Amino acid sequence: MANAPAPVTVQPAGPFAAFWSAFSQNRGAVGGLIILLTIIVLAIFADWIAPYSAIEQFRGMTKLPPAWTEGGDKHFWLGTDALGRDMLSRLIYGARISLFIGLSVMSVSVVIGIALGLVAAFMGGVIDSVLMRIMDLIMSIPSLVLAILVVSILGPSLTNTIVAVSVVYLPNYVRLVRGSALAEFGKDYIIAAKVAGVGPIRLMFVTVLPNCLAPLIVQAALGVSNAILEAAALGFLGLGAQPPTPEWGAMLADAREFIRSNPWIVTLPGLAILVSVVSINLFGDGLRDALDPKLRRS
Amino acid sequence: MIKFILRRLLLTIPTFVALMFVTFIAIRLVPGDPVEVRTGEHGISPERLAYFRHELGLDQPIWKQFLDYVWHLLHGDFGVSLSSNEKVLTEFLTLFPATLELSFAGILFAVILGIPAGVFAAVKRGSWFDHTLMGAAVAGFSMPIFWWGLLLIMLVSEGWHLTPVAGRIDMIKFYFEPTTGFMLIDSLLSDQKGAFLSALHHLVLPMIVLGTVPLAVIARMTRSSMLEVLSEDYVRTARAKGLSEFRVISLHALRNALIPVVTVVGLQVGGLLAGAVLTETIFSWPGVGKWLIDSIGRRDYPALQGGILLISSLVIIINLLVDLLYGAINPRIRHG
Repeated sequence: MANAPAPVTVQPAGPFAAFWSAFSQNRGAVGGLIILLTIIVLAIFADWIAPYSAIEQFRGMTKLPPAWTEGGDKHFWLGTDALGRDMLSRLIYGARISLFIGLSVMSVSVVIGIALGLVAAFMGGVIDSVLMRIMDLIMSIPSLVLAILVVSILGPSLTNTIVAVSVVYLPNYVRLVRGSALAEFGKDYIIAAKVAGVGPIRLMFVTVLPNCLAPLIVQAALGVSNAILEAAALGFLGLGAQPPTPEWGAMLADAREFIRSNPWIVTLPGLAILVSVVSINLFGDGLRDALDPKLRRS
Repeated sequence: MIKFILRRLLLTIPTFVALMFVTFIAIRLVPGDPVEVRTGEHGISPERLAYFRHELGLDQPIWKQFLDYVWHLLHGDFGVSLSSNEKVLTEFLTLFPATLELSFAGILFAVILGIPAGVFAAVKRGSWFDHTLMGAAVAGFSMPIFWWGLLLIMLVSEGWHLTPVAGRIDMIKFYFEPTTGFMLIDSLLSDQKGAFLSALHHLVLPMIVLGTVPLAVIARMTRSSMLEVLSEDYVRTARAKGLSEFRVISLHALRNALIPVVTVVGLQVGGLLAGAVLTETIFSWPGVGKWLIDSIGRRDYPALQGGILLISSLVIIINLLVDLLYGAINPRIRHG
């Protein structure tokens, strides 16, 4: 009997493999992921990759154009800004700041959003109404105007930018979590869990929450790109990160007067914002299609 | 329908009250003394300080200040700007047409280009046009519009000298008293030769900058909504009846596909006003967005307070109208 063929069993694909096979079919999403990973690596290893410090000023080297154009210096590959700082280094360190802002805003608003959303869904009644009216209110103030209001109270800084933008995006998460939690409530497994004597906290976080995660992950991914844009806008208005922090939006604000004379100082930081935001959005679209076929656009 | 409208109206009242409360509290928390701003002096004498504090009502208990504030608001009194000494409401209303003109142009630009582009992409699904448009749409709604504005100024204004860099009209050549506040209309009414063209010239770039994000969103939404509708049975029926493709698409499919697009256009309003703040700053467009940013720098409490309140109220009202409109075109919503 030793030579009998072994029974063939097909392992069902694990959740990650299933996700990846769906995700990898979307070329845009994979492209986005690759660019995003590159930016993340640049941000993490900025100290080793960037040729110079982000704030070191080189005397007599101000407003050098990129290396491949006339008048460029091969030591400053993307040229220098008005104070003689290396553009490439500033952009690389800027990636660190923008990703930091994006991820912080996302984590803060996701955590608070989950807590408030679940509380609203479970408690219902007055607490639910009050919470949702507050969220309506936040949503009724245009995002940038609200962020400006928060920053003007707290004062302009990187931390306050994160606080302001988190407040702006909080309602999205609260509403999403509340909505999906409420949709789960009527289902049999919740009733079964209650009958089995599961306490409210466990019911909230262990039973219900995992079933609301798919749309939340998608929203969180897209939330990162929105946060980066919003923070850059605040930086541009002079209400975000303060000089000499190499924040991309703030770099643009400094560059406005050089539109005519030194266009690369204006072009490069904006391009960096655009590329990162596009890559995150492509990745987020791919996540949505792979994780949640119901939300698929077409 | 009446019940639906009433319920929706009642729901906005607590939002308005909360809005008044938040703007009131928030502005008190802003650092910087309003009296010093008003008088422009540091180390002002205590008597004069007390006098000004009394005049501004700042010596009252905080709850009384709030009730006063609400009382004044209900009578249309939004306070007096500390820096210009003008009524906030008057200042807002003088500047608002500029923002409205810009926003209207921006959304018009987005709708006029976005809907046909989305329809065409859906009909030619998978074509190079579809792929290009969807790629451009991702770039469009990822666009940092303040950079987009600078880039366009750099190329179109500085590079090709096609459009002016800032403002609403050539102030050196043309001057007339505003009648409607809308530059395009006023310039026509002024009967000055070339004034209208000058105003139009000034509007083009800001309009494109402000319209870019809505354009991307509308094109994407129209495409996906259209794709959904095109696979419906009634579209197949219409085709089976032998109707021309144009008729099927424009009459049968598009009308139904536009329902979600209307909501999306409505949802753009808040974003549009936020975008106007940036666009106005870049193009020195004298609207409420730029005024708001300037007010922060001047620590002008009442202007900020009134401005945010007025802008937010506007967004609440427009969202309400969109909801009602949506209820009117899609009866299923009313009973939700």
